[in-house]
Amino acid sequence: MPDALISLTAIDKIFASGIRALQSVSMSIAPGEFVSLLGPSGCGKSTVLRLVAGLDAPTAGRIEAPAWRDPAHALTAFVFQDATLLPWADVFDNVWLPLRLAGVSRQQAASRVEALLAQMGLTEFAHARPAALSGGMRMRVAIARARVADPEVLLMDEPFAALDEITRQRLNADLLAGWQAAPMAVMFVTHSVFEAAFLSQRVIVMGARPGRVVDTVTIDEPYPRSSAFRTSPKYADICRHLSSALEAAMAGSAA
Amino acid sequence: MSCRAFDRMLPGAALIGFMIGWEVLVRLAQIPHYTLPAPSLIAQTLWTHAGSLAGSWWFTLKVTFSALILAMAGGVLLASVFALWRPLERAFFPLAVMLQVTPVVAVAPLILIYVDSTTVALLLCTWVAAFFPILSNTLIGLRATDAGHRDLFHLYRATPWQRLRLLLVPTALPYFVAGLKISGGLSLIGAVTAEMVAGAAGRETGLASRILEASFRTETPKMFAALALLAFTGVAIFWLFDRLSRALLHHWH
Amino acid sequence: MTILSHQTLAALVLFAGIAHANDKVTFATNWKAQAAHGGFYQAIADGTYQRHQLDVKLVPGGPQVNNRPLLPAGRIDFLMTGNLLHSFDNVKNGVPTVVVAAMFQKDPQALLAHPGQGYNTFDSLKNAPVALIAKDGQFTWWQWLKAVHGFRDEALKPYSYNLGPFLANPKAIQQGYSVAEPIYVQNQGKFKPVVHLLADHGFSTYSTVIEARTDTVRDKPDVVRRFVDASAIGWVNYLYGDRRAANALMLKDNPEMTLEELESSVALMKEQGIVDSGEALYNGIGAMNLSRISDFHAQMVKAGLYKAGEVDLAKVATLQFVNRKVGLDLKAALGKH
Repeated sequence: MPDALISLTAIDKIFASGIRALQSVSMSIAPGEFVSLLGPSGCGKSTVLRLVAGLDAPTAGRIEAPAWRDPAHALTAFVFQDATLLPWADVFDNVWLPLRLAGVSRQQAASRVEALLAQMGLTEFAHARPAALSGGMRMRVAIARARVADPEVLLMDEPFAALDEITRQRLNADLLAGWQAAPMAVMFVTHSVFEAAFLSQRVIVMGARPGRVVDTVTIDEPYPRSSAFRTSPKYADICRHLSSALEAAMAGSAA
Repeated sequence: MSCRAFDRMLPGAALIGFMIGWEVLVRLAQIPHYTLPAPSLIAQTLWTHAGSLAGSWWFTLKVTFSALILAMAGGVLLASVFALWRPLERAFFPLAVMLQVTPVVAVAPLILIYVDSTTVALLLCTWVAAFFPILSNTLIGLRATDAGHRDLFHLYRATPWQRLRLLLVPTALPYFVAGLKISGGLSLIGAVTAEMVAGAAGRETGLASRILEASFRTETPKMFAALALLAFTGVAIFWLFDRLSRALLHHWH
Repeated sequence: MTILSHQTLAALVLFAGIAHANDKVTFATNWKAQAAHGGFYQAIADGTYQRHQLDVKLVPGGPQVNNRPLLPAGRIDFLMTGNLLHSFDNVKNGVPTVVVAAMFQKDPQALLAHPGQGYNTFDSLKNAPVALIAKDGQFTWWQWLKAVHGFRDEALKPYSYNLGPFLANPKAIQQGYSVAEPIYVQNQGKFKPVVHLLADHGFSTYSTVIEARTDTVRDKPDVVRRFVDASAIGWVNYLYGDRRAANALMLKDNPEMTLEELESSVALMKEQGIVDSGEALYNGIGAMNLSRISDFHAQMVKAGLYKAGEVDLAKVATLQFVNRKVGLDLKAALGKH
C-alpha cells in the first residue's frame, strides 16, 4: 500500500515461553483508515496491536508505525479491554492524563478535555471517580482519554466485549461519529463478526496456532452507517461472508 | 436510635460495661488493692499523680512518634531503593527480616554499649521494632502497579519522575498506609519495651519507668494507672491512623 | 525380742507418718541459687527442715523473675528480700506482710570498680562516668546514693546482669553483692575489683530478711517459728559445718554456678561478717532489734525515699521469732571453724 501509515512485513513473534504468537504476518493500514482484526482467541490479534503500539517488539520482520518512528511524541492511543482508568483520579483528571504527561497544564488542557467530555456525554460526571461509574461509562472515559491528544493511530483491543448489547451498539455509534469528526487510523480488535462488519472499512481475518492472516474483506458501505444498516440484506451478506472466513480460519487452525 | 448511632456507641458502651463489671468484681470478692485495684481507685491514682504521669506520658509519646517518623522515612527510602534495584533487594532484604525478628530486649543492651545517649538508644530500638511493616508493605505497593497502567504511561512517554508521582505513589499509598497502621502500634510497644530494658531511671523517663518503679515499690494502683494510660495511647494511635487512612484513601479505596 | 510382722510394721510406720504430718511451706528466694542462700539449702539438704516437721519447697528467683507479688497473693508462704526498703514499701502501701527474721546482719550490696582508676575511696565513686545499676536498685538505694552521697543520674545506665559493659570500660562502676560479683569479675576479667560496701557508708539495713503474711504470723505462729529456727540452724551448719550436700543442691538448681565460686563466697561472707556478726553473735542468726530498723528508716526519710509518718514502723517487723539464741550451742559444738 502506498503511503501506508502502519505496515507490518513478515512479522514473527515468539514469546519467551516458546509460543509462536505470530507467523509471517503482513498488513498495512492507510492514514485515517478504519480496520478490524477479526479472529478466534489465540490468533495473535492483541499481539499485533501491542507491536503497533511499541509495547512489544517483533522477533523477526519489519514494522513501521508512528509509535516506532517518533520516540518523543505520543501519537498512538490505546483502549484496553479493561478501561484501565486511574482509580484515584476523577474523570477529568483521567482524560487529562495524556496531555498532562506531555507537559500541558490543567488550565491549558481544560477546553480540550471538556470538549471531549461533552462529545462522550460525560460532562456531568467530570468529578466522579471511576468506582462510581458503570462499565459503559468507564469505557467512554477511556475513549475520551484516547482521543484527547489527537492521536494519529487509535488501537482498540476488544473494548466493548464486556458490555451488554445495547451499550455496545451505542458506543459503536459514538465511536464512528468521533472517527468521522477527527479521522485517525483505527485498528479495532474483535471476535464479533457483527461488530467488525458494522464498524470497519476493511476486516483482516486471522487464524490461530500460529497467528497468521487468513483473509481480508473490504466493506464498501459509506459512512455514516446508521442502525438501518444493521437490518439491511447487504449487512447480512457481509456477516455471512465474514463468518465463513472465520470458520475457515478456525478449521485451518484445527488442522 | 438509628443503626449508625448505635454502632458508634457500641465500643464506648462495651468499655463502660467492662469497667463496671471490674469494679463490682473487686468489691464483691473483696480483692485487695495490691492485687487488683478497682477502676475507681485507678482513676483516683491517676488524678493524684497527674503531674508526674503526664510528664512520663509525654516522653513516651515523643519517643513513639519520633521513632515512627524515622521508621516512615527509613521504610519508604529503603523500599524505593529496593524497588529500583532488584539486586540490592536480594542482598539486603534478608537483613531487614533479621532485624525485624530480633527481640528488642536482646538488642537493647548491645545498643547501649555503643550509644552514649539513652534517648538515642531508645529511638534506635523503637525504630528497629517499627520500620519493617512500612518497608515490606511499601515495597509490595511500589511493585503492585497494574500492567495496563504501566503500558499507558509507556505509551504516553512518561518521564521517570512522572511515573513516580502520578503512578507509583498513588498505587503504593494504600499499602503504605496499611503498613503505617501496623507500625503505629509497634512503635508504642517498642518504645515501652526498649525503655524497660534500656531506660535509666531519673532523667527523661517515660511510662515504662513509671510502671517498673511502681512495680518495685509495690504501688500497684499507680502501676495500673500507668498501664491505663498506655492502653489509652494504643487505642488513640490506632484511631488516629484509621482516620488518616480514610482521609487519604476514602475517595477511591 | 518379738519379730514384728510386716503388716504391723507397715501400720506403725503409716501411723507415725499421719501422727507427725509435716507442714508444707513454699519459700521463694530473690535470685538464682548462690552461696548467699546457702543456709536455706543446707536446711533442706541435711534434713533440718524435716526434723522441724516442715516440707520446704524452695522457689528460686532470677533476672527476669519477680517472686514478690506471690507472697501477698498467697501463692508462697515465705519470701526472701534483699533489704528493708521493700518491707517499708509494703507497709506504706497497705500490703499485709511482716519481717520475721534477718539472716544477714550486713547488707552485701556493694559498688565495684576497676583497680588503679582512682576509685579507692567511696567518695570518688560518684565521679564515675558510667554507673551500672539494675532496675531494682535504680528505684531504691540509688535514690539514697543520690540524696546522701551526691551520685548523679547522668552516670546512670541500666545493669542487665551482664559483666560485659563493666569489664569493657575501665572507668565504669557497677553494683554487685560483695560476696559474689567480685569472684565472677576475677574469673572473667582476670582482675580483682575494688569493692565498696554500702553498709560501710550508712546503708545500715538488715539483708536477706524473711517476710511472711501477717495472717500466717497470726494463725500459724508455730510454723513460722519452726521455719525461722530451722533456717538459722541451716545457716550455722552451712557456715561452720559440712556444707557439701547444700552446695550440691545449689549446683543442681543453678548449673552455671561452680563449687569454687560457692566456697570463695562463703569465705567472703565469713570475712566480711555478713551473716554472723553484731547481735547475731550473742542472739543467734536472724537477730533483729527495732531501734536499728527505726534508725535505718529515719535515714531513708532524710534521703527523701519516704515522707515522715508514711510508714508505720510497728508493722514492719516482729521480734517474736528471733533473738532466742537458736543455733548458738550448735555453733559451739562445731568448734566454730
